[in-house]
Amino acid sequence: MANPMSIIGKNAVAIACDLRLGLQALTVSNDFPKIFQYGPDVFLGLTGLATDVQTVSDLFRYKVNLYRLREERDISPQTMANLVSTSLYEKRFGPFFVNPVVAGINRTTGEPFICGFDSIGCIDFAKDFIVSGTSADQLFGTCEALWQPDLEAEDLFETISQALLSAVDRDALAGWGAHVYIVEKDKVTKRLLKGRQD
Amino acid sequence: MADRYSFSLTTFSPSGKLVQIEYALNAVNQGVTSLGIKGKRPSSLATLSFQSKSNLLSATNGIVLATEKKSSSPLIDPPSLSKVSLITPNIGMVYSGMGPDYRILVDKARKVSHTAYKRIYNEYPPTRILVQDVARVMQEATQSGGVRPYGVSLLVAGWDEGIEPPLEGHDETGAGRKKTEETAATTASPEIETDAEQKLRKSGKTGGVLKGGPSLWQVDPSGSFFPWKATAIGKSAASAKTFLEKRYRDDLEIEDAIHVALLTLKETIEGEMNGDTVEIGIVGSPADHLLGYEGVEGAQGPRFRKLSKEEIEDYLTNL
Amino acid sequence: MVGFDFSNYNRNAALHAQGVPLPKATSTGTTIVGCIFDGGVVIAADTRATSGPIVADKNCEKLHYIAPQIWCAGAGTAADTEFTTALISSNLQLHALSTGRTPRVVTCMTMLKQHLFRYQGHIGAYLVVAGVDPTGVGLFTVHAHGSTDKLPYVTMGSGSMAAMAVFEANWKGTLTRDDAVKLCSEAILAGIFNDLGSGSNVDVCVITENKTTLLRNHIKPNERAQKERNYRFPRGTTAVLNEKIVTREELSKYVTVHELSSDDDVVVVEKMDVDG
Repeated sequence: MANPMSIIGKNAVAIACDLRLGLQALTVSNDFPKIFQYGPDVFLGLTGLATDVQTVSDLFRYKVNLYRLREERDISPQTMANLVSTSLYEKRFGPFFVNPVVAGINRTTGEPFICGFDSIGCIDFAKDFIVSGTSADQLFGTCEALWQPDLEAEDLFETISQALLSAVDRDALAGWGAHVYIVEKDKVTKRLLKGRQD
Repeated sequence: MADRYSFSLTTFSPSGKLVQIEYALNAVNQGVTSLGIKGKRPSSLATLSFQSKSNLLSATNGIVLATEKKSSSPLIDPPSLSKVSLITPNIGMVYSGMGPDYRILVDKARKVSHTAYKRIYNEYPPTRILVQDVARVMQEATQSGGVRPYGVSLLVAGWDEGIEPPLEGHDETGAGRKKTEETAATTASPEIETDAEQKLRKSGKTGGVLKGGPSLWQVDPSGSFFPWKATAIGKSAASAKTFLEKRYRDDLEIEDAIHVALLTLKETIEGEMNGDTVEIGIVGSPADHLLGYEGVEGAQGPRFRKLSKEEIEDYLTNL
Repeated sequence: MVGFDFSNYNRNAALHAQGVPLPKATSTGTTIVGCIFDGGVVIAADTRATSGPIVADKNCEKLHYIAPQIWCAGAGTAADTEFTTALISSNLQLHALSTGRTPRVVTCMTMLKQHLFRYQGHIGAYLVVAGVDPTGVGLFTVHAHGSTDKLPYVTMGSGSMAAMAVFEANWKGTLTRDDAVKLCSEAILAGIFNDLGSGSNVDVCVITENKTTLLRNHIKPNERAQKERNYRFPRGTTAVLNEKIVTREELSKYVTVHELSSDDDVVVVEKMDVDG
């Protein structure tokens, strides 16, 4: 169900998702965000089976809260990525039907970071973009064309938004508006996009 | 009457003591003295790249762990004995008390650093987490049936990557700040601290980011643990600590720290001091030559290493 | 890893029975090879990861670290190769620390095959294990069901036939380090260009008695050409209904746990009974 995607820019990352929740062809909700925040600058996007999206997002809220209490620090996106990976692989033979995307900025190095996973925890470290969900195939195309290195935060927003909107407009199972997060060193900007409602 | 509480560990004496733990401490206090000294922390390294970080550190600071390796007989073959141990590439450990108990704890510490941390987060545990895990193992032995407490105190030394809090009693906005600018300029690193990070540094808050740098911990048989700048455990702990109080300075470089460690040991040691009878481990700059491979992006050599017999003897001749 | 968690297994089987498609795992379609030479061993791999017909990762890493002198090339289910090698690496490191010896290639190979045999092929890891230890040079293949081979040159993965053709045509009994690197690279290139499951770049790892060198992206024959024009949109192109900015400074207002500043930090939570 629908698609978070994430792209990397110059000192910034963007993560975006559409808002559709559907049961096959039946649209159940047009306000179902799939991006979750696990620290000042660590985000997780989840696509797949809605029940698993909720279970998995809650599971990581639990794990990350315990991490923060035990270590007295926020989790870095790299550590989060490995935690997601091992947690998914633990269920190698009974996986959650999710394809997560992690995006964030590492506070120690100041570097932006994105990565994606398959449902059993194999990490895809990318230097450009990560896509996931029903319109992943379309997103691969739009991102390959529209992405370029060293995009500033504002340009990053236009690029990710247009890549996402173009892709979901050719996916009957996705769309109905979108959320876009632009994560920079000292601020996070969340925007609600106007999208087709059909 | 008190004797009745000496056998079952899970029973408090009426005065609120668990005497077996006190006996375990007695075992520690009969053990060979070990000591640890934390050297100077670099003033400011927050946003420098790994490369420039290791250049800047260049063996000028870190932690020393030292102990005497005592042979009960001249027939003992010293190289087969080892008291200072590597736990993770950046964490080392030494003990006073019962050797066999220590070796069990070393195995458990190594294992727990993998099972409870590296296999989950794909990185080694920070020193405090490792210390907590080892302390849990020791605490469990004070509350479980059919076991006795571990007859050892440990000194655990480690280095954590991350933003380092400002030095105590130092004007961070002065010398430290200047140094950052210099290194940033010389290494041509485009990364300069953001305003937010500068604020953090001034306020002394790292905002929950891992407080990096060296740390030295003591763990006791009860499972309690304490952070130290310098300390000693074992037979001559009290006198060694008095000595360290006199000799310790906040700006000890690691070479000086090794020197002070040997001087302290000299006060307490009974036999001859040489490369066979003294064991030293240091946590310093990454020893990339010990990594064993090259070409892996971001890979760093171990910070913990044991000094060779020759290195120790070099230090001893300069004593 | 203590073991796998099967708690979703029955649910997933029920969902599948109702027609929900099972998720696609990333697989490393892959060409991987290995070849011994006088004084060491070389392994090499391509860098394409696939999910069905889609290229999931154009530059993934298929050469896995086991120990400084033992490395592994992995084909099959990407997550399985990653986690199996990480698990064995971890156990081997603990073993090396407690024995005080450098780990052996046969030990690694045996641990891998026992682990994979236990799971009867359900862990889809197909591996080339290579290394140098005090007993000499070692080169093995390990299949997902647990069988192993010991050979002077090996290939695995969907591009193994293309790669093996290069070995069968050009392999000699005596090879220098550079010969072996070249031969392995050519075998991988054969996979990259003739097998659809393999692609992008050539990664090589050379292990000798004295040192190990990872040559990441040793050959990059498929670099994407620089775009002549760009598709940068003018700022303001996208219609925004709502915008919310959270700065780190504002965020700190909602933080309920504060660190104490150094002038009022004398809160003794617990008495230290170090000498008590």
